[in-house]
Parts: sequence; C-alpha cells; structure tokens
Amino acid sequence: MTALIRIIRAGPMATIQDAGRFGALHHGISASGPMDRGAFERAGGPLANAGAEGIEFTQAGLAFTVAEGHFRARGEGGEFSLSVNGSPRDWPADLGLGAGDTIDITPGPSGNYGYLRFDHAIDVPAVIGSRATNLVAGLGGLDGRALRRGDELTLVPVESDVVVGEMIATHLPADDGPIRFTWGLHADLFAPAARQAFLGANFVVSTRLDRMGVRLDDPSGVFAGAPILSLVSDAIVPGDIQILGDGTPIVLMRDHQPTGGYPRIATVISADLDRFAQMRPGTALAFAPVGLHKARALFLASR
Amino acid sequence: MAEAEVFPPPLILPLGDRSLLVRFGNTLSDEANRAAIAFGRRLDERLPDGVSEIDPNLVSVLLKYDPERTDFERLAGEVRLLISAPTAIDDVAATTHRIAVRFGGDDGPDLEAAAAVLNMTPDAFVATHNASVLRVLTIGFAPGFAYCGFHPEAFRLPRRTEVRPPMPPGSVLFAAGQTAITSTSIPTGWHVIGRTDFRNFDSAADPPTTLREGDRVIFETVAQ
Repeated sequence: MTALIRIIRAGPMATIQDAGRFGALHHGISASGPMDRGAFERAGGPLANAGAEGIEFTQAGLAFTVAEGHFRARGEGGEFSLSVNGSPRDWPADLGLGAGDTIDITPGPSGNYGYLRFDHAIDVPAVIGSRATNLVAGLGGLDGRALRRGDELTLVPVESDVVVGEMIATHLPADDGPIRFTWGLHADLFAPAARQAFLGANFVVSTRLDRMGVRLDDPSGVFAGAPILSLVSDAIVPGDIQILGDGTPIVLMRDHQPTGGYPRIATVISADLDRFAQMRPGTALAFAPVGLHKARALFLASR
Repeated sequence: MAEAEVFPPPLILPLGDRSLLVRFGNTLSDEANRAAIAFGRRLDERLPDGVSEIDPNLVSVLLKYDPERTDFERLAGEVRLLISAPTAIDDVAATTHRIAVRFGGDDGPDLEAAAAVLNMTPDAFVATHNASVLRVLTIGFAPGFAYCGFHPEAFRLPRRTEVRPPMPPGSVLFAAGQTAITSTSIPTGWHVIGRTDFRNFDSAADPPTTLREGDRVIFETVAQ
C-alpha cells in the first residue's frame, strides 16, 4: 500500500539520495549519493524490502507528517533527537509510522548528516539511472532540488522480489584519530616542506561546507603563500583535498565537479570519508598518510 | 589503417583508493588528448576486470574500480599491457556535428573585446573561429560541458581575469585555444562569444549527451 508524507520543515540541504548515480562521469556528472554512506546503508540494512532511496538531512533537522498509509522507517547517522507526536524516541531510530503521525528530528550532540530509510521506495523519477539528488547539477531527487516545507513524497511498496544489494555495512567508523589519506594526484608539486607541514598541522572544519566540499581553516598557514599553479583540468574523486589559489584547503565531497584544475595534495581514504563528513564546523583534525594497500584493507574491513 | 604514432609512456597513477588515472601528459597538448581519447575507446571495447566506470578527460583516462574485485597493482599491470599494444589514434570513429551559433551582441558579450585583443574585427574573428574543424576534447566539468579544440596558435586568448556570474545554457565560450559549449547555467571565466540552441545535455535522453570525445565539430553563424 502506498503512503504519503508531507514535509513540515527541512534544511536547505535536505535531499533524497540513493547509493549514487554511477557511470555518468563522462557526461559531466558526479555520482552524488549519501555524504555518510555507511550510515545510509546501516539505516536500510535491517529493513525488510528497504527502498533504495532515503532522505538525507542536516543540522537543520527534518519534520514531516504522515498523510496517508503506514510504513516502517529507520534513522541512522550522527546523533539526532527524534520525536513522534511529541514523544522522544531513540536514535538510531526504528519506527512504525501511520497516518496522522508527526515526526520531528532536531540536532543532537554530534554529526552533520542523518538518514531516514523506509520499507518503501520514494516515488520520484530515476534520472540517468538514479534518484540521488545532485544539488550542483540540479538533477534527481525531487526536481533536482532540496526538500522544503509543503513537499509531498509518495512512498510505494518495494516489490518483494527486488533485491536491494550491498546494503550491509555493519562496522561503525572509528570515533577519533587522524583522517587518513593517500598522497594525491599533485602531491609532487608541493614543496617537501609543505608536505611535511601538512602532516604535522591541525586543521579546523570551517562553516563553509556543503555536499560539494568542506573548506578547512588552516590556522598554522601550511598552504599560505603556496604558489598558484596552472594545471590542466583533471579527474576529481570524492575525498580529494585541493588547495585553492588563496591557500584554502577544501575536501571535495559527493557533489564534486567531475574535473578541476586546482592542485590536490592528498585524497581521504574511502574508509574515513564518512567520519570526516560528520565532523561539525569547529572540529579540529589532523591528517595521516597510509599506503594504498592499507587504504584498501581498511575499506574492505569497513564493508 | 593509419600507422600508430609513438608516444612517451603515460603515467599510471592512483587517484584515491578506488580509482586509477592514466595520464598522457602534464599539459594540454593535441597528442596527449588524442592518446587519451584513443585509450578510452580501447577500454570501451572491454573493461578490465573490476573496473566499473571509465572517464576520458582532457589528457587522461580515469578508471574507477571495485576494491573487492581488484587492486591498484593488478589493474596497473593490465593497463600497461593494453598500452603496450599499438593504437592507431587517428582511427577513432568520429561523428561530425554542425553547431549553429549567434555570435556577439547579448548572446556573446565578450566577442568584441576578444576580437580587439587579437587585432581583428568581430566579423574576422567569427570567420577565423568557424574556419577550423575542431575536435571534442572531452565532456566534463559540468553536465554536457563540451571542450572543443584546437584553434591555431595565432588565434588564442587566455581566460578572462574575472569570472562572470552564471551564463545561460548554450553559451559558446572561447579561451586557451578552445571553444566550449555549456549545457547548464554556470559561472565562467572564459570569453562568452555567442550562444547556440544546441544542448549537449538532456537528462531524459539515452545517452544524455550527444557529443562524444573524438567527434568533429564545425561552428556556423546564424544570422541575427
């Protein structure tokens, strides 16, 4: 049976996501998908007949009413406060919801991104094979944009023979320690002293962060006065740490542009990118290098 | 079949822990771009095991791989074998596209200034611009954004120092020996010389882009 939810409150970056729009880089489109993939997968994994889509929301939270129908929902990612009809519920959340229920999610002590998955699919059209919202390109999700007050989403049952694959991330990422990276595409263009300083420095997550990238404050000035290089535009992957012309480091995230011409000193490893995405503005962090073998082993262990 | 050209071997680089980049040059050159296109076409015929997606760029090809199915060293070995076989890079199948453009005026606010820097009249600029058959160098940066090149050495300008606020889809851009066509509204530091009704991106079409790297492009003037 279908269900209908009506959005009461959503932040400017609350979006519909699925695993991602893979295979479209050669059309100039990056994959998008959840900022915290592990949390997205943990939300859907335990649900029977989980829909491939979910709602990603931010510190601005999310509130909605169930206008019609009933369904199960699971919430994961960061720490959020959730209530149903005014009664507090646990987070992560496992909910049976029906017509008339009002769900209100507000920020908790940590994390930037939370997820709601349903035992229903969200009925929006697939665009180039995916329902993930790409806010930069204005594609997918609900009309290529963030959710807002008054939006109605139809939830449709998932056919029981639909296999929702690879939705079984069970390992929570480590809570602390440096963010690990492999040296980047242009690491050799940075002076040895700058590379060394990068390893020892503390950076701070700035308030300028979105699904495209997270700018870091660089209080010790590791990249201040770095020479401005003219590079041929080349492929970008999520986690790339690029240094802008004014010396600002920016970690590129899920809605990154497919190519870019700023130098990239490093790439955050796949196993640590979710943890990085959840770091709030003001969080101090350091970076530590690992080799490719170690990065791969950590990724496989995180699955 | 054309005789294969010989290139210096490309660099095979990791890009993060799930991608491998085959880079044919450090600067944008005609031969590095043609080599990247030819290698991309070769990969299209058969993706190496564990590779989920390839993306040819201006001077490189990105291979995204699944770490559960392969690893960098193994994939790099396969790539080396593929590269060692000769490729006839002029033998790439190419479609020719004619793109009708309204040059200058509100559609191309930078045309006059660009022509002036090159000591040309706007009409001479357009004539020179349209005289070259260009190659689609790559599609990237934004949905459907098409880089086309190359113009002759004497007909080149650097980008503007100022970035314009988002320009409409179909903007025709000129810089660095290239002409680019936008398909979405994006800010740009290139010289905006005209506009076309052609859109290289339709999210409902399959495939969503019409131009493909390696294709030939001829620009034509629409009377205003």
